[in-house]
Amino acid sequence: MNSFLTAFFAGTSQGAIYALVSLGLVLVWRGAGVVNFAQMGQAMFTTYIASQLIQNEYSYWSAFVIALISGAILGAIVDLGIMRPLSSRKNSQLLNSQSMRTTIPVIASLGILGVLKSVAGILWAGEERGFPAPVPTTGLRLGNTDLAITGFDLFVIGVVFLALVLTTIFFTRTGMGLAMRASALNPEVTRLSGIRVGSVRTLSWAISGTASSLAGLLVTPKTNLSPNTLDLLLIVGFTAAVVGGLTSLAVQFWVDLFWAM
Amino acid sequence: MLKVSNLVTEFASIKALNDISFQAKPGRITTVIGANGAGKSTLLRTISGLERPTSGSITWFDEELTDKSVEAIVRSGVAQVPEGHAVISQLSVAENIELGGLFRKRQARGDLEIATKEVYELFPILFERRREPAGSLSGGERQMLAISRALVARPKLLLLDEPSLGLAPLISAQIISIVDELCKSTGLTVLLVEQNANTALAVADHGILLALGKVVADLPAKELIADSALRAAYLGY
Repeated sequence: MNSFLTAFFAGTSQGAIYALVSLGLVLVWRGAGVVNFAQMGQAMFTTYIASQLIQNEYSYWSAFVIALISGAILGAIVDLGIMRPLSSRKNSQLLNSQSMRTTIPVIASLGILGVLKSVAGILWAGEERGFPAPVPTTGLRLGNTDLAITGFDLFVIGVVFLALVLTTIFFTRTGMGLAMRASALNPEVTRLSGIRVGSVRTLSWAISGTASSLAGLLVTPKTNLSPNTLDLLLIVGFTAAVVGGLTSLAVQFWVDLFWAM
Repeated sequence: MLKVSNLVTEFASIKALNDISFQAKPGRITTVIGANGAGKSTLLRTISGLERPTSGSITWFDEELTDKSVEAIVRSGVAQVPEGHAVISQLSVAENIELGGLFRKRQARGDLEIATKEVYELFPILFERRREPAGSLSGGERQMLAISRALVARPKLLLLDEPSLGLAPLISAQIISIVDELCKSTGLTVLLVEQNANTALAVADHGILLALGKVVADLPAKELIADSALRAAYLGY
């Protein structure tokens, strides 16, 4: 029974991280029509930033917040600096064909992944390093009884739950959330409603970058950090996102949990 | 006043609009009629910025719209209701309406609430069904919703693309009559594109007949209705 519960809680914690990865993928897919293979490269990069800050004796929490902000900025830079100029090139017949319009951003995202890995390798020597957890990773105890859940698993589940609640409130209760849903569903009607769809799209990239950055911060205390650490996370998160249909965030969450179990 | 001068819009070197010029008087309905492929929808899409003209100019009073983005044109007071009851099916009725005024939310929150109340008074069925997904509405209700989405933006110029398409005659007459009432009561300028020429010209001040991307008649609506030779030549009845 105890091993079942241990596997259950560890699986829930892992599934919660996959849910964050899928959230990032779905946001960019729905918002910009791009499968962003660079997503976990962005997460790896911002986790390195957090790791560097912690090494420089910043507190875990300031490094945590700076990594999340860096994730948002990096996401916005990818859209503004690379994806938007690519999609607005109109002087090439090849680039204007529908198939190339959908393929080129995907290829570009693979290129960005390569660049991020190389830059991380140059800046941080590419070696595997540990990343701290803010709470103990050992099993919790209640009186004399060993519980099947670690403090870190509980932390991960709590943080992801909070992130998903905030995301849901943002999408269902705010004007910007409505604009994001509308521009993903019907960009033309949204533009005709006076909404700047380009800016909304950049915001999708930024939120996606933050979600992936959070996933990186939460997974690396268990896996360590290297330029290639998070590749597997993308594969699992992407597979779960595809199984969930790359649509509803709620469906996505349950698919991810089931997947991790 | 809307002034369109020497407008040319091309798709792969085919001129969908070929040197179009006309004016639409403020506070009146100007109807654009023509057969399929005449360029009616392209004209509205070019005015609203969805298509970029090759040459020519579009001005709304003193404001040049020609090179503006769609979003900037909407913010200048020009709203388009595209062909095909353009609503977002997955969003609720209330969310579709809210979307139309979202860009004014910071500056005119109070007026936005009034505008929303007004469209619900104009189309009470939408208030009854405000929590339901727009996809569950009938064709006529979807058209009412599309018009409401445009109206909460408080436009000065409304571009209506075939509002009667796919609707029962009674419903389409009801919608056109509501637009007519709006025009008279609020001073809204309307550019109405229709295939159903008789219904549309009946409420219009002025009529423009398009054929193969060119203006072939630009007359007061009553004269255009009465000109059976023009109708037979270009509309086939």
